[in-house]
Order: sequence, then structure tokens, then C-alpha cells
Amino acid sequence: MTRRHSGERGLALLAALALGLYLVFLVLPLLLSLRSSFTDENPLRATNDFVGLRNYTEMAGDDQLRASLVFTLTLAAGVTLAANALGVGFAILLDRTSLSYRVMRTLAFLPQVLSGVIVAFVWQTILTQNGLLNTALTTIGILDEPYPWLGSPTAALISICVVVTWVLSGFTTVVYLAALQSIPLELHDMASLDGVHGTQRFRTVTWPMIAPGTTISVTISLITVLKLYDIIAVLTGGGPANSTQSTALYIVKLAFTSDRVGYASAVAMLLLALSAVVALTVTGALRRREINL
Amino acid sequence: MIRKPLVAACMAGLLALTTTAACSDGSGDGGEGGATALTYLVFETPSLDATFWDTSIAAASAEVPGVRIDKIVAPSTDRDAYAKQLQQSGQFPDLLQSITPSNFVGAGLLKPYDKTWIDANFLLPSANTLKGEVYIPPTNSQIVPQVYYNKELFAQAGVTAAPQNWAEFLDACAKLKAKGINPIELGGADPFAASMPLVGIVSADVLGKNKNWLQDRYAGRTAFADADMVTAVRKYRTLVDNGYFDKGALGVKYADSITRFTGGKSAMYPMGSWFLGSVPKEKADAFGSFPWPTDDGSVVVPFVGGGSMAISAKAEDTALAEKFGRAWSLNPANLKALIETDGAFPMIKNKTLADYGVTVTQVFEDSYAYVTQDNNKVSAIGWATNDDALPPGLNDAFYAAAQALFTSDDVEGELKKLDDAWKTAAQ
Repeated sequence: MTRRHSGERGLALLAALALGLYLVFLVLPLLLSLRSSFTDENPLRATNDFVGLRNYTEMAGDDQLRASLVFTLTLAAGVTLAANALGVGFAILLDRTSLSYRVMRTLAFLPQVLSGVIVAFVWQTILTQNGLLNTALTTIGILDEPYPWLGSPTAALISICVVVTWVLSGFTTVVYLAALQSIPLELHDMASLDGVHGTQRFRTVTWPMIAPGTTISVTISLITVLKLYDIIAVLTGGGPANSTQSTALYIVKLAFTSDRVGYASAVAMLLLALSAVVALTVTGALRRREINL
Repeated sequence: MIRKPLVAACMAGLLALTTTAACSDGSGDGGEGGATALTYLVFETPSLDATFWDTSIAAASAEVPGVRIDKIVAPSTDRDAYAKQLQQSGQFPDLLQSITPSNFVGAGLLKPYDKTWIDANFLLPSANTLKGEVYIPPTNSQIVPQVYYNKELFAQAGVTAAPQNWAEFLDACAKLKAKGINPIELGGADPFAASMPLVGIVSADVLGKNKNWLQDRYAGRTAFADADMVTAVRKYRTLVDNGYFDKGALGVKYADSITRFTGGKSAMYPMGSWFLGSVPKEKADAFGSFPWPTDDGSVVVPFVGGGSMAISAKAEDTALAEKFGRAWSLNPANLKALIETDGAFPMIKNKTLADYGVTVTQVFEDSYAYVTQDNNKVSAIGWATNDDALPPGLNDAFYAAAQALFTSDDVEGELKKLDDAWKTAAQ
């Protein structure tokens, strides 16, 4: 009895610690930010005034905010689709047990463990005008002159999409691999006996059975891109001409370049609400799909 | 048996450390041998690297007994934004290198230097004046931008002399392009570098005719949408439309733009005079410079009073901080390094270039002549740190406009955005 009570106390202590950390590092900053969003807080002023909903109404006419939201949502949609498609493909290729496949699984996950800043610096050396990609393509004669991979709004969007997809595909591969390995072998055996192979087996057996993995992978991919800051900050800095400015990047610029912490907090609240709505909607739809399958 | 005492010892150690940290008031006491610790925000560039800062701090510290400097390096060259983040988290540095004082003075965060000392030591004591006070000693100055050119590429294209006016500049560009030489280098991937031609055009054409344009803008007497500004900015579009920049210039990083220009990939390079520190010594004679050309050929020099560090009004010992700031500012070794590596033009009284023991190139001396000559010096828009500094956020908007105008012909639209951004910033 004493040992059980002691164990329960230990667990309660750990739970309290976790709850405390959650409150201090997540809930409290969130509440402070919410309060700030109703003020004209400026990092260089000692006092702030309550401005009611002014920051929220201002957002309606903010062209930069609108552009950043369009960019962020476009990137989120593109990256989520691409990273999950790649994740499924890689997972199927790596769903073997030999040592070489286990090594390749580790390699596939590598981009996910690298810091976003390091990833962006590495890709910058590849994608700039004098970078490795242009050097290679011009040397072998595919391009006559270097292409501005980061120097035009469309190319920069696609370049960022490729880099973030590369990073996230490590995560999605691992999720889909786990989902594939949870499919009972009997199902595959039965499908073989029924003469179901290849694409048909993927469509009728594999795809429905990895639905829980899809829900997790798609939701986390979306949330990751909706709050993306580091890779874009290093790779393009939001340029050219703010065309790759994510909403997270815009928030930081508002707060520490334009000195508008109050307005930045309001935009952060909008991003939080948007992320929540998107994540809940997508999760709900994918969960319903799991049940229907 | 062993574990419990070990865990207890670790916990005790952690507790002791935590208690020590909690009891510390962060006031800066406790330096080695009773020295007062001051935090000093610096930034690193290829020219001003960690060694430069460490050496310069050591040299100035040696002249100020009782001080210990704790260096803080900004994560990027945007030290203003980092200083604001530090302020927001209650860690505003005691000394701040090359910040924009106008961002911080309104909040009472900076302490001005003693004017008698400023007047006694500097050639242009008012170069950095903000509302009558000097927060950064004007130890040196920059021209932002000048146009640097490659004499060999000019000769290849039949351009026999540096352009004296806008028409000659366009003519030189046309001849260079006809010869298959990229006329103008632009490190457009870095917003500040992308803005250089626009800074040159606006400073020369608009501020060159009305030195008080920025003060008038603050007073609402001028606007970016004004006809003279539109006409000036259209000249930038002329350069773009005629293909005088590399098509992929917005993908070129600032650092790459330097190597491309010095490597002979482009004939001209509008850049701040800090570029002089990057001119290859072994072929320095191959490069020349001229001021951004005006329509009538009159010389307008977009000028920035550079300098050293600002002092936090919140520093525990502001007198000691000012002593350190003075020692650093007047230390000839620091100026020597700044002249040689950062192309800084020294502005300390009663000293010639020779007094610093520097070895400078001819193109440096030619450029420096524009500082010492009596000519039309105006504030370089977006770079001035005195009363002509732009309001917070406007620099970014200006840079973005420069990048946008590389791909868009909507000059009026971009200038309206600047007026809108000014209105928001001024609220």
C-alpha cells in the first residue's frame, strides 16, 4: 500500500510539474499576448494604452498581413501534400527489415533532426545565384545563365516549398512506416490469395489501413508550416519584396522592427485561431474518413 | 547506497547554483578584481569580425581602469531589432555599437555624450546630432552609395571616363551592355543591398535639391507621392527596363555581389563606402569611384556620419560607460582597423590618414576626397542616424519597395505604400 501510494504521489508530482511548465511557458505567454493585443504596446515605451478592438479592425485593411496569410496557406497546402506523398512513397520503399534499409530509414529521418537554421544555410548555398544548383546546371549545359531560384516571388515560393518538404518528409516517412508496419500480415496474405497486387492492393488494403498515420502526419505537417519562421528567415528573409513573408515572420517584424508589439500580438492571435481552425477541421475530416474506411 | 547521497549532493549543488543566480541582481557588480561589468552590443561582418571586436575592447579597456566588458553579439547585422528584443526582455545593453539612436531616444534609453568633448575631438561634431544631442560620437563617416567601377571593363566597352551626369551614366551602361558586359552589379537578395541604387537616386535627385526633404516629410510638407520623387524613382525603373542589372539580381546575396564585381562579372557597383575594405589590394588600381550621377552633373554626396557606440541611460555606471565609449572612439588602432577593413573615413580632428599608419588604396583616397571637399552633402536616405533617420519600420518598407520595383513598374503604387507606412509609423 505504502509503495503504491508513494508511486502515485510521484506520478502526481510529475504531472504537477508538467502542468506547471505548461502553464508558465504556454498558457501564461498566451494570456499575456492576448492582453497585449488590446493595447498599443511598444517595446520602447514604459506604458501602454488600452485600444479595445482597434488592432483587430486594423487587420482587415492590412495588405501585408493578407499577403503573408495567402503565402502561408499556399505553402502549408503545397508542403503538406508533397511531404505526405513523399512520406508514403519513401515508407513503402523502406518497409523492409534488412540492415541497409534500417540505415536508410535513419538517413530519411535526418532532415527532421537538423536545426531549421542550419538546413536553410545549407540550402542557401545550393539555391543562390552563384550556388551549387546553378553552377551544376550551367556547367552541364541545361541552363544558359543562372536562374534566380530565390530571386523571384514564384521561384522563391517553390524553393521554400521544396526545402520545407525535404525537412518534413523525414517525419512523414517515419509516421507512415510505423503505420505500414502496424498492418497485419494476414491482410496482405489474403489480398495475395485473392489476386490483389500492386496499385490495387495499395488502394484497397494499404491506404485505408494507414489512415490513422495520415491523420497524424497531415495535421502535424500543416501546423508546422503554419507557424514556420526559421527556414524562411534565413533562406529569403521574407523577400524578394516581402513575397515570401510568412505570417510568423511578419509578426516578428511588426514587434521588433516597427515597434508594434500590440498589433503583432493581435496578428499572433489571428494566426493561433487560424491554425486551430485548420487543424481541427482537417483532423475532424480525416477522423471521419478513418471511421468510414 | 551510493545513489541517494549522490543525488542529494547533486540537488544541493543545483540548489546552491539556483540560489546564487536568484540572489544576483544582475547589476554588473562582481567583475574580476572588483571591476564593474558593462554589457556591450556589437555585430559581426566579414570585415568587423570577432577578433576585431575582442582586440578593440581589450585596447579600450586598458585605458579605463575598473571596467570589464561583456560582449554581446547581435545574431544579424540588424542590431536595432536585437537591442529592442533585449530591451523587451529587460536586458538592454549598457553600450550599443552603431545603433540608430532615434529608435531609442524617445523612450529615454540613451544618454548623450558630453558636447564639449564631441566639439573638441571631431571634424563634424553635428554629423550625428539628434534633437540637439549627440548619442554616437562621429568618429568616422561613410558615403552611401558611391558607384565603384572596373576601369578595364570600361575600357573594353569604349567608356573613356567615369560618367559625370545621368546621360553619360546611361550611355556608359548602354555601351557596356552592347559589349556583353553586365553594367551594374546588385546584391538584390539582401534587402539593404537591393536598395542601393534607389538610395543613390533619391538622395542625389530629391535630397540633393532639398536637404530638408526628410524633415519636411516629418512635418507633412513633402510626400513620397510627390512628382519629384516619382520622377526620380522612374530613373531606377529605366535602369531595370533597359536590362542594366543582371536579370537574376534579386537572387544574388550581398557577399556574392562583392565577389562578382571584384571578379569582373559587372562593370559598376553602387554600394556604401565600406566596400572599399573589400577592394582587392593586388589590383586596387583597376577600380575607380564616382558619386551617384545627377541630371545636371552637380556633385551630391549621400553622407552618413558613422561612429562608435551609444550609452544606455540605464547603465549602472553611465560615467564609466561614457569613459569606455570615449576611449574606444578615439583609439587610433580601432580607427586604423575600421579604415582598412570597413572603408571608414576618419573624422577625428587634427589627424591625417598618415597619423593612423594605414595603407589605403588610391580608390579610397579618391573617395575620401568627396568627404573632405566642400560639396553638397546630404543625408543618405535610410542610412542617416541623425534627425534625418527614418521612423521605425520605414527602412524595411524602403528596401521592400526597391525589390518590388525590380519586377514591377508600379512606381506610384510603391511610393504610396511608403507614405502609408510612414503614416502608420508616425501614429
